[in-house]
Amino acid sequence: MATFCIAHLYPDLMNLYGDRGNLICLQKRLQWYGHDCLVQPVNLNSEVDYSTFDMIFMGGGSDREQGLVYRDLLRRADQLWKQLDAGLPALFICGAYQLLGTHYESADGKQLKGLGFFNLCTRSEKERLIGNIVLACRINQQIITVVGFENHGGRTYLEDKSLEPFGMVLAGFGNNGEDGQEGVRYKNLIGTYLHGPLLPKNPAVADYFIHMMAARKGIEITGTLNDRLEDFAHQQIKRRILGS
Amino acid sequence: MQVIRRVMAIAAAKLLICLSRLFGYHGTDFPGRVARKIDPDILKKLGANVQEEIFIITGTNGKTTTTNMIARILEEKGYSFVHNRAGANMVTGITTAFIKESNLLGNRPYEYALLETDEANVPLLLKELTPRVVLITNFFRDQLDRYGELDRIISLIKDAVRNTDIELVLNADDPLVVHFQNDTGLHCWYYGFDDTDYDLFQGEESREGRFCAFCGEELQYERFHYAQLGKFNCPRCGSRNPRRNFTGHDLRMTPQIHFFVNNIEIHSPYLGFYNAYNILAAVAVAKLVGIQDEIVQRAIASYQPRAGRMEQFLIGDKKAIQILVKNPTGLNQTLAALNTDPASKSLFFALNDNAADGRDVSWIWDAQIENIAHPSAAIKGITCSGLRSGDAALRFKYAGFNEEIITVESDLEAGIKACLDMEAEVYYFLCTYTTLFASRKILSRLARKTTRPRPKYNLAQPAAGGE
Repeated sequence: MATFCIAHLYPDLMNLYGDRGNLICLQKRLQWYGHDCLVQPVNLNSEVDYSTFDMIFMGGGSDREQGLVYRDLLRRADQLWKQLDAGLPALFICGAYQLLGTHYESADGKQLKGLGFFNLCTRSEKERLIGNIVLACRINQQIITVVGFENHGGRTYLEDKSLEPFGMVLAGFGNNGEDGQEGVRYKNLIGTYLHGPLLPKNPAVADYFIHMMAARKGIEITGTLNDRLEDFAHQQIKRRILGS
Repeated sequence: MQVIRRVMAIAAAKLLICLSRLFGYHGTDFPGRVARKIDPDILKKLGANVQEEIFIITGTNGKTTTTNMIARILEEKGYSFVHNRAGANMVTGITTAFIKESNLLGNRPYEYALLETDEANVPLLLKELTPRVVLITNFFRDQLDRYGELDRIISLIKDAVRNTDIELVLNADDPLVVHFQNDTGLHCWYYGFDDTDYDLFQGEESREGRFCAFCGEELQYERFHYAQLGKFNCPRCGSRNPRRNFTGHDLRMTPQIHFFVNNIEIHSPYLGFYNAYNILAAVAVAKLVGIQDEIVQRAIASYQPRAGRMEQFLIGDKKAIQILVKNPTGLNQTLAALNTDPASKSLFFALNDNAADGRDVSWIWDAQIENIAHPSAAIKGITCSGLRSGDAALRFKYAGFNEEIITVESDLEAGIKACLDMEAEVYYFLCTYTTLFASRKILSRLARKTTRPRPKYNLAQPAAGGE
């Protein structure tokens, strides 16, 4: 039995639309696989060493909260990037995903800087993109569907065409409602607009993170979990949206 | 000409009310909307028929129950009044309510008007009616309010009441409500709870707006009654709970509610701390109207819950309780009420994602379902139903319930039957808005089939709408 430690960045500020459900999901599944999982909250002004974590998670927040968080993250941005570039598993949702880019332009024309990890940018518009969403994603060399709920004013564009999106939109809006792309994927990092929360209804994505965390620790995850309810919930919403 | 317009508006709306009844709709916005098209001043005119006072009841949670309880008290006293009973709480629905109680000429007098009003509709309503009292139950930020919508509504309400003679009745325990006095200069009456045995010393919902309304500093809480309601002070500017005019004290939940309001003993068949707040608010208004203690006590004790407000059904010898849940705060309160009931339970949760429920079901992850995932909550089975039964089932599974006790039956009728098939002492039916009336119909039918009517359970009550 191993103990995993996941950093929850700014839980007080960045937690929209049930995003903390992702952590509940990872924690429970690791327990069911026979391991332990700690979630460590990282708040504004706390001293962190990203190399001590097995995974990073950050949810969405409003514009105001995003600004506070950006300034705090910037203090250690180099160290964070070093870990992500070395393959640290990470999930960034909505506002957190937008922060990874070069900049964010709010609906009233204000420019907010991003961490600049990726050459992607976000322009916000008054009209929000809201609704259920289904993606096709490649996880472990297999194309699978991923379901969720999106609610964002920002339109994100992967300016660097070599950047890989998290998935392609089968139904819904995705990054910008124009180019069919959703999210971003880099090594073991996923940035996405999917709330819902993402992981409980998409156990393959949850297990992808779990296997990556374990591999970095040199541990093998054995056995399979009973995903009857997870698969049912996934299919239920997929049927409802795609209508088959 | 004025009179003809008024009579035509009333006649048209009355006809539409009859028609919609005929077709079995509860919807009561449409007749009022038509009447207002014919005579835009219709509400102003009918409002002038109120002889005594108009009361507006608003806030995020509890306005339907609080308004219904005040209505019950006025009824017990024998007053005549207008009340938008069906829960249509926009200006149009309120217009319908006035027309319903009016004669064709539009000059029948009533003593009071009790108007449950949607928060955003308060400023609109105040343009047409002049109430004596606006009661604000609480303001909760829920997930729909990440973008400042609530702050905007609060400031609109403040602007609308400023420079009037309105008296405010405010929840002294809610930091989002108490600053109304300073910002409006109006006369304010406060109600709130003394320390109770049910208080927590740590807040559960980390995201509630627990910041000082005056200086923005994070508030310090001595204790929480529920959510952000509690005993607080601001370490920077020193603001704190205002002095109460109506104090709830010595609260006991058995799980039925027993407590005192300024030494008046109150008993209610309702459950849950949030309902104790609703009762306290209703008693405060009753005392402001000058109603005698015995009448208040009798009215509250005899007030039976309505659709979705812990309404009870007896199905064979099984006790079923139906509760409307629509946001994390409400669901947390329901869970807290379940925790005060030691009986073994079979739980039913119907989750839909229609427009009226909210298309986004992720709010169930913001609720602390974990709080009932322990043996002493005595939950023997969970049946998940509705269009998003799968999401509901996952929430319970990841809250720590054994998968074996979770059943998924998307169809409401099959789900209700599966829940009732479990071995338990009490059956709780938690329903989101668009599953509420369909489930209630099924429960009522099952109750009629298996039980001779007993007046105690009062199954013949008219269906009430939601907030």
